Amino acid sequence: MKLFRAFSSQASGRHRVLARPPQRVFLVQMISRRYCLAAVTLFAVQSMVALAGALDLVIPDLPSPIPFEFGRAIHLGFAVLWPLIGTMGMVYYFTAAELNREVFSPRLARWQFGIVLTFALSVYLSLSLRIGNGREYLEGMPLLYLGIGLALLLAAYNLVRTLWADKHHITPAAAIMTVGVLFLLILLLPNALHYNNPTLDEAAKFWVVHLWEEMAFELTTAGFIATFFIVSGLAVREQVEKWLYLEAGLAVSGGLYSTGHHYFWIGVPSLWLLLGTLISLLEVVPVAMLVQMTYVGFKSSKLSSKTGIKSKREKLTLWLILSSLIYHVLGASVLGLMITIPWVNLYVHGTYTTSAHAHLALFGSMGFLVLAACYYILSWGSEPTAKGYKAGVLAVLLLNIGLIGMGTALLVAGFVQTYLWRILGQDFMQVRFHLTPYLLARVLAGGVFALGDFLLIWQIYTAWWRTRKQNSPSSGH
Amino acid sequence: MHTLKLRSFLILSACSLVLFAAVTLLSARLPVPISQQAAAGKRVWQKHNCVSCHTLFGNGGYVGEDLTNIVAKVNPPQLVQYLIQPPVMRPNRYRHHPALKRTEAENVVSYLEYVHTIPTLGWPPQPQKAGDEP
Repeated sequence: MKLFRAFSSQASGRHRVLARPPQRVFLVQMISRRYCLAAVTLFAVQSMVALAGALDLVIPDLPSPIPFEFGRAIHLGFAVLWPLIGTMGMVYYFTAAELNREVFSPRLARWQFGIVLTFALSVYLSLSLRIGNGREYLEGMPLLYLGIGLALLLAAYNLVRTLWADKHHITPAAAIMTVGVLFLLILLLPNALHYNNPTLDEAAKFWVVHLWEEMAFELTTAGFIATFFIVSGLAVREQVEKWLYLEAGLAVSGGLYSTGHHYFWIGVPSLWLLLGTLISLLEVVPVAMLVQMTYVGFKSSKLSSKTGIKSKREKLTLWLILSSLIYHVLGASVLGLMITIPWVNLYVHGTYTTSAHAHLALFGSMGFLVLAACYYILSWGSEPTAKGYKAGVLAVLLLNIGLIGMGTALLVAGFVQTYLWRILGQDFMQVRFHLTPYLLARVLAGGVFALGDFLLIWQIYTAWWRTRKQNSPSSGH
Repeated sequence: MHTLKLRSFLILSACSLVLFAAVTLLSARLPVPISQQAAAGKRVWQKHNCVSCHTLFGNGGYVGEDLTNIVAKVNPPQLVQYLIQPPVMRPNRYRHHPALKRTEAENVVSYLEYVHTIPTLGWPPQPQKAGDEP
């Protein structure tokens, strides 16, 4: 709250940029670097796994030590777990920054890291050995998800105790990040069970596939963006916090009931057609508010260049945040809404159109934000060189070009598939041969994406290496 | 003011979640209970990660065909035979569809027969035929 008072006393003009308060570094912030380092490393591996899987679809009889059905499972496992690990680090780091104090137990955060990494790696290892549970995005054995649930339980406990320690000074950003972590836990637990009922099984799966992405992570990333702008001194607290609880409330209620658009055809009553469609419209509101909040920050940061804040590190973080917002609007909201309309969904569901949406919404919206947070955290205490900054921007551009390329190729493949298979009724396999050029284009775009990935990760590793001593728990902070 | 907003947010979130979970559970009740053999088939489906290549209810991978209503197109004994002695998967020249044991294959087909009985609100759509009324 000291931070709040410091900001409040200086805030007089609209979007006024404040002088930065000196930032303390807390033990948990140093520990959070481990989470971020693990997350970006898994993200680098993800690109290679994804590229191998995409090649397998276009090169017949491609030799591989892991068969396609388990390779894809690893790809989807990575898609869920690297952002989760990055989010854990992000929430710890920005909660301490936001509250300007240590979390309840840094030791618990350290244990939690060991647990989540062990169980996440066990998911990949077991899938490589062809041991899995065959539920899309949750292909690992249920016991391993219980382990990840344990890590989330520790995180939730640690964060709640942190807020509780000074409950009269809970800030909106810290609160919604904690609620986001609580939701991650609550929504995962039903997925550690086995269901005989296939409809219930599908529904429970979307509690992670949809609700982690479009609700829980939405809360944690909104808290991150708000805190980032505030603690970086790029925007005024009141401006950023003004609608944060409303945005979070809409993200929760909208996110929950818009799960209905995934329930349409899984064996539930037709009520969900109406509920899923109407509430999906509501989901656009928090996205618009997130865009507005970022716009406020951007406007302030633009002003700040005149008054002295010229941090390339923060600019690169902003590049990543801006990238995410593009996909929030285009990939998640516009494309998402288009394919949610029931009579459109009836035809495009179960085609590559869904895959295009998944890439743009899952990595585009959320992945970029987690990368932004990880870069910011791992580069704390350093500034990129002019060359390093340019390389970072180039990496972000390559990631964007690659992602848009993959999304477009899959979208066109989906439309062709819809027309030939669903509308004209051609044989599925015959249609699949027509899709090869688009799947090949996806491989090429995936290659560009992987290049951007490696270049960015290299920049992040360099920043981490440069700052590792000053941010090490033994450095005496 | 912040405390009030936080309380409202927490109450709204908790109520929304409870109601959502209750409506989902009620909605997921199926008209016909699953048989033991079909339940065993679901486990085989999961163990072999069939969802990576095939979709059920349109959810899954797009390498192979959607299997929600496969038993309406191919009769169950033929499906069992396919799974026991799988052919080469086009466009590969050497790679075969993964093979199952007879019991596993029978269980999976029983599961697919069960899935076929689940009402899916008209999905997948029936393709237009030449001469159909618009």
